[in-house]
Amino acid sequence: MAGPFPDRIPGIQQAISVLWPSFMTAIAATGLFFSAFDPQELVPFNLDIEVSRVAAYSIGFFIFWLLAIVSSIGTLYFTISNCRFLNKQNQ
Amino acid sequence: MASKKSETADQTLYAAHKKIYPREVSGRFARLRVIAFISLLGIYYVTPLLRWDGRQALLFDLPERKFYLFGLTLWPQDFIYLAALLIMAGLALFFFTALLGRVWCGYACPQTVWTEAYLWMERKIEGNRSRRMKLDKAPTSAAKIRTKVIKHTVWILFSLWTGFTFVAYFTPIDELANKLVTASLGPWETFWILFYSFATYGNAGFMREQVCLYMCPYARFQSAMFDSDTLIVAYHPERGEPRGSRRRGTDPGEQGLGDCIDCNVCVQVCPTGIDIREGLQYECIACSACIDACDDIMDKMEYPRGLIRYTTENSAEGKSQHILRPRILVYASILLILTAILLTHLLQRIPLELDVIRDRNTLYRETRDGLIENVYTLKILNMDSRAHRYTLSADGIDGLQLVLDKPEIEVPGGTVFELIARIQADEYNMENRSETITFHLQAQDANHLKTSEEARFVGPGKG
Repeated sequence: MAGPFPDRIPGIQQAISVLWPSFMTAIAATGLFFSAFDPQELVPFNLDIEVSRVAAYSIGFFIFWLLAIVSSIGTLYFTISNCRFLNKQNQ
Repeated sequence: MASKKSETADQTLYAAHKKIYPREVSGRFARLRVIAFISLLGIYYVTPLLRWDGRQALLFDLPERKFYLFGLTLWPQDFIYLAALLIMAGLALFFFTALLGRVWCGYACPQTVWTEAYLWMERKIEGNRSRRMKLDKAPTSAAKIRTKVIKHTVWILFSLWTGFTFVAYFTPIDELANKLVTASLGPWETFWILFYSFATYGNAGFMREQVCLYMCPYARFQSAMFDSDTLIVAYHPERGEPRGSRRRGTDPGEQGLGDCIDCNVCVQVCPTGIDIREGLQYECIACSACIDACDDIMDKMEYPRGLIRYTTENSAEGKSQHILRPRILVYASILLILTAILLTHLLQRIPLELDVIRDRNTLYRETRDGLIENVYTLKILNMDSRAHRYTLSADGIDGLQLVLDKPEIEVPGGTVFELIARIQADEYNMENRSETITFHLQAQDANHLKTSEEARFVGPGKG
């Protein structure tokens, strides 16, 4: 019988399951964060840099996306390793 | 032991995608969809061109941190209105899904709208379904390359226009167009135009129904809003089965056949490549292409229309239908209440804000006349679209005096005005070491434009 948790998921499917939810999360996070904080009033780590707001929003978006990607990779990894375990039990 | 078999089964779950060549459809619902698509595309491309009060009518001005919605200007502190609008959009989606099923997917979703636009271009350039299939199967030739190059060029140009329009919702379109023709677009503007163009090209040209099948969150949970009275697209198996081909003009009843002539046109027109005769499936985006296609066949066969039709589970089973049911009423009332709250808040919104920041360096100082003085930085946000002149006053301690560094407070529309205010008071009028005082700001030309803000006034304290 086919295991209920397929653990052979093609690479493209894995990539989408990591990149796509994190992309949507990053949009929401960017919107929330920059509604509350004006990038021109933020000085991260005392860095003396001048960036335009649009640049700050864009960079912020990619940082959020990256963080969410890391989280999604974690979820994918643990799901797959749990599936391996369950599949072994099922056999 | 069964693992070998299960592996192959799992792999077929994610089998390589088979390209779908939707056949063109005409009919009542196809006409309705075309009207919807053209209106929606029109709204998308035309909206940034609209003007209001000498500026772009709808502009989410990210660089300036201001959102212009026609006569309304929203500041970052008005974020709650946008959040409420998004929640209302979500609820409206729930409401219409419960009532009309996946009407959003079939008629209004940007994925559907742009996919249909790209399909239309494809049809104009490559021809109808069978010609497109033949072209893709044909060996590489000069003619094939030429057709493909033309198609992709047209697609890419359309994508770039789409990406440009998208960015024009966030930076003023006249500025953007100016920068484009003078080749002085900023790096991030260029990046987002290309990013959105690429997404459009990929989603509408290549991913198409796979976005609905694998990526769309709504497709996964829309069934939760469904009940037995929700509008669905369904095949009438009692009437259609047993299906089979037959000669025109013969009586299917004599041959033991139902009304379905098994012509497969309903499958060929389906943009997600399913067979509606197998029942309601999550892949079905309720685009109603199969209804039009089947009605056409029924007309040709001189059978009554509606072998595939819009219906509800209850109506298909011959039960009575209910339009007003608890689910609909609950969604509708939540939606109405939210709309009412939002409208009341918007109408009562005072486009004026006063921020008071106490000077943190010195607690207080004594003036030459022996008064205690505290210094404050005031920020006046005039969120109205036109300029106002304001009167500032303060109270909280008997006999306090307000000294401003500027004689006039005149603030242009949509700007922040900063000024230094000194409050002087006699320490004998203070009961505590620290008292609460209140600044009052009042527009001189409009009674309703007023706001107050509290601050602390610190003195030496008694004893």
